Amino acid sequence: MILRIARKEFVELARDGRFRASAAVVGILMVGALAVGWEGWRDISREHARAEADSRERFEGQGEKNPHSAAHYGLHLFKPKSSLAFVDPGVDPYTGISVFVEAHRRNEVDYRPARDATALERFGDLTAASVLQVLLPLVIIFLAFPAVAGEREQGTLRQVLSLGVRPRDLLLGKAIGLAAAMGIIVLPAVVVGAVLLSRVGDDAGAAWPRAAALAAGYLLYLAMFLAVSLFASIRAKSGRSALVALLGFWILNTMVAPRLATDLARRLHPTPSALEFASAIDREIREGVDGHDPQDERIRRLEEELLDRYDVDFVEDLPINFQGVALQAGEDHGNAVFDRHYDALWSTFDHQDAARSALGFLAPTLAIRSLSMGLAGTDAVEHRAFAEAAEAHRRELVRLLNDDLATNGADLGFMYQAGPELWGQMPRFRFEPPPVAGTIARLGPSWLALGLWTIVAAAAAAWSARTLRID
Amino acid sequence: MLARIMRHEARVLAADRSLWALAGLLAAVVAYGALNGASWAETRRAALEAAAAEEAARFDELRRRLGSPGDAIGVGALEVGRSSGARYAAMPPGLLAALVVGQSDLLPSYVKVTTDGRQSLDGADEIENPTHLLTGRFDLGFVIVVLYPLAILALSFDLLSAEKERGTLALVLSQPVSLRQVVLGKVLLRGLLVVGLAVAISMVGLAVGGGASGPGVLARAGLWMAVVAAYGAFWFALAVAVNAMGRGSSANALILAGIWLALVAVVPALVNVAVKAVHPVPSRAELVQALREASDEAQAEGSRLKARYFEDHPELAGGDVDADEYAVQALAVQEAVEASVRDIQGRFEAQLARQQAMVDRLRFLSPAIVTVEALQDVAGTGAARARHFAGQVEAFHESYRAFFRPRILRAEPIGPKDLDAIPAFTFREEPLPGVAGRVALGLAGLVLPAVLVGAVGRKALGRYPIVG
Repeated sequence: MILRIARKEFVELARDGRFRASAAVVGILMVGALAVGWEGWRDISREHARAEADSRERFEGQGEKNPHSAAHYGLHLFKPKSSLAFVDPGVDPYTGISVFVEAHRRNEVDYRPARDATALERFGDLTAASVLQVLLPLVIIFLAFPAVAGEREQGTLRQVLSLGVRPRDLLLGKAIGLAAAMGIIVLPAVVVGAVLLSRVGDDAGAAWPRAAALAAGYLLYLAMFLAVSLFASIRAKSGRSALVALLGFWILNTMVAPRLATDLARRLHPTPSALEFASAIDREIREGVDGHDPQDERIRRLEEELLDRYDVDFVEDLPINFQGVALQAGEDHGNAVFDRHYDALWSTFDHQDAARSALGFLAPTLAIRSLSMGLAGTDAVEHRAFAEAAEAHRRELVRLLNDDLATNGADLGFMYQAGPELWGQMPRFRFEPPPVAGTIARLGPSWLALGLWTIVAAAAAAWSARTLRID
Repeated sequence: MLARIMRHEARVLAADRSLWALAGLLAAVVAYGALNGASWAETRRAALEAAAAEEAARFDELRRRLGSPGDAIGVGALEVGRSSGARYAAMPPGLLAALVVGQSDLLPSYVKVTTDGRQSLDGADEIENPTHLLTGRFDLGFVIVVLYPLAILALSFDLLSAEKERGTLALVLSQPVSLRQVVLGKVLLRGLLVVGLAVAISMVGLAVGGGASGPGVLARAGLWMAVVAAYGAFWFALAVAVNAMGRGSSANALILAGIWLALVAVVPALVNVAVKAVHPVPSRAELVQALREASDEAQAEGSRLKARYFEDHPELAGGDVDADEYAVQALAVQEAVEASVRDIQGRFEAQLARQQAMVDRLRFLSPAIVTVEALQDVAGTGAARARHFAGQVEAFHESYRAFFRPRILRAEPIGPKDLDAIPAFTFREEPLPGVAGRVALGLAGLVLPAVLVGAVGRKALGRYPIVG
C-alpha cells in the first residue's frame, strides 16, 4: 500500500512541469557548481604544489652560509587544498594560502583569496554545498507543502481515507514518493561528484570516508526538511498558510540565522585586533613574559650557566657554539610566547564557533554548515591544523639549523658556514589533515542537532498524522 | 479618491494581526542591523585610535632617545625608516559606515608604512574568525538587500489574489473605482509603511550610533534613502505584476519566492562565477614565487646593482658626501626586486579592475547587486573607497621613502629637528560628485526595471479576471 502511494506521488510529480523545471535548474546548478569547483580545485592544487616545490628547491639551493642565515632565508609553505574542497570550499576564500617560515617569527598565513575578488564574493559562492544547503530545501518545500493540504483542499483526501488507507501509511507513502523525486534531482550530481572524487589523486583514499559522512549529513538534513514540510502540510489551515510558514522557516534558517550567529558570537567573545595581538607578542618577546626579564638579561644568564656547566672562563672556550645555543634559547622563549597568544586566540575562535553550534539546535542549517565544512576539511579548525603544522615545521627547521650551528660551529662563532648537504637534510613539510574519526567526533554537537531535528520532525509528522483532519 | 482607497486599505490592514507582527519584525531587524553596524564602526574607530596611539608612543620614545646624550648625533635613518619612525596610513570609517559593514571587515583600513618595498603594503590582514567573514554580518546592508524585499513580498504577494479568494474584490470594484486605482492605493500605503519604517529606523540608528557628521553627510543620507526607496519600488512593482497574472495566492508566493531567491542569491553567484572565469585573477602563489626569484637574483647581483646605482646617481659618488655602501646596495636590490615584480603585481590590480568593470556592467542583471554596490558606495565601505585609499597609501609610501632615501644613502642620522618633518598621512575623502555619479547610475538601474515591470503589471491589470 505504502509503495503504491509512493508510486502515485512520484508519477504525479514526474508529470508536473514545475517539478521538471525546478529539477532541471537545480540539477544543472549543482553539476555546474561541482564542475567549476573541481576545475578551480585542480588548478590551485597544482599551483600550490609547484610553488612549494620551487620554494624548497630555492632553500636547498642556497650556497655556503651560516645555518642561521639559512633560517632567515626561510621558505614558503603553501596550504594544500583538501580533497573535498570542490564540494564545499568553506572558509578557504577567507583564509590565507601561504605562510613564510623563518627564524624568530611566527608569520600569519597570508593572502586571503577573497581580497582578490569583487564584493560579489560576499553574496556567497555557487557551490555544490550551497545548492544542497539552500536551494534543495526550497525545492523540497515547494514540492511537499501541498502533499496533504492540497489533497485536503481538492477534497481527494476524504476519498483516499474512505478507501481505508491508514493516515500514517499515506504520509509514509508520500514521503517515499517525494524522496524518490528528490533522489532523481540529486543523482546526477552524486555520480559526477563521485567520478571527480576518484580523480582527486593520492588523497582520494582518505577522502571517501569523509565523503560518506558528508552524504549521511546531507541526507539527514534534507530528510529533516521533508519531515518539517509534511508536518506543516498536515497541520496548516490551508496550503497557503503551510507554504508561508515553511518559507518563513527556510528564510530564518538559511538567511537570517547564520548572520545572526556571527554578530552574536562576536559580541559574546570579541576578537582581538591584529595590532593588539602583534604588539603583545612583541613586548613579551622583548621584555619577557612578566615585563621584567629583558632579552639581554636572559642571554647573560644562559652564558653564565654554560660557563659553569663546562667549567670554562670564556665563551670562546666552550666546546659548543654559544650563538647556536643562545639563538635556540631565544626561539624557545619566543615559541612559548607564541603558544600562549595563539592558544588564547584559537580558544576565542572556539568559543565563537561553539556559540554558533549552540544556535544550530535552533536552526539546523547552521548545524549542516559546520558539518559540511568540517567534513570537507575547509572549516576554521582544519585551517588552524595547517597553521599549526606549518609552525611545528618552522620550529623543527629552525631548531635543527641552530643545533647544527651549536654542535659543528664550536669555535667559529658566526663565521661557521654549512653547505647544501645540510639544507638537503632538513625534513620536508607534508601536511596531513586530521584523521576523519577525530573530525566526525569533533562535530558531535552538529550531528546531535541535526539528528534531533530529524527525529523530532519525523515524530511530529507521524504523530499529527494520527489526528489528521479531513477538511 | 486615492486617499480614500488608502484610508480604507489602512483600516483593513490594521485589523490584520499579521501586519503588526510583520511591521514589528521589520522594525526589529532594521534596528538590530543598525546597532550591529554602529558597534562595528566603533570597533574600527577604536582600532585606528590604537594604531595612532602606538605611533605616537613610538615617536615619543624616539624623541626621548634623541634628547639623551648617547644618541645626541641622531638615530640611523635606516632604523627610523624601517621601524621606529614607521607611520600608519589610515582610512577613517566612512561617514555612514554604521549603515553597511560591506568590505570593511576584509580590506584593511590601516597600513603600516615603512621604507620596505612595495610588497610590504600588501599584508596586514585584520584578525578575524574566517567563518564570520564567510557568513557576513547582520548589518543594515544585509537587512535592506535580503530581508526588506521579503517584508514587501509578504505584504503584497496576495495583493489581489487574497481579495479575489475571499470574494471581496468584486465588491470593492462595484464602487466607482478602477482596478488600477485600487492597486495603486494598496501599493502606496504598503510602500509608505515599509519604506518609511526602513528609512526612518536606519536614520535614527545612524543618528544614535554617532560618527555621522561632516560635509556631505546629508547628501549621502539622501542617496541612501533614494536607493532604499527605489529598491523597494522594484519589489512592489514585481509583486503587482505577478498578482496581475491572476493566479492564486500560493502560486504567487511560490513565483515571488523563486524570483527573490534568483535575484538575491543565484544571479549574484552566477555573475561571480562568470566574472572569475572571464577575468581570472592570477594565484598569489605565483607572486610569492616571483618575489622570491627576483630577490634571489637581485641579491646575487648585489654588487653589480650597487655599481649601477652609483652610475645612475652621480651625486652620491665622490665629492664631500659619504655614501653608506651597504645602504646603497640594499636600496639598489630593493628597487631591482620591485621593478621585476611590478608587472606581475600590476596583473592582480588590472584583473581585479577588469572584474570590477564587468560587475559594474552585469550588476544590472539583478537589483540586489545594484543595491549592494550603491549602499556600500554611499556608506564608504565598498571596494571603490578602498581602492581610493590604496592609491593614496601607495603615493604616501613613495613620499615617505623619498624623505628617507637620501638620508639613508648619505648615512645622515635623523636628528630631533627631522622628526617632525617625517611625512605623515592624511586621508583625502572620495569626492562626493564621483560617489553620487556612481550611485545615480545604480539608481537608474533600479528605477528602470521598476518602471518596466510596473508597466507590464499595469498592462496585465487591464485583463485581470475579477471573478473565477
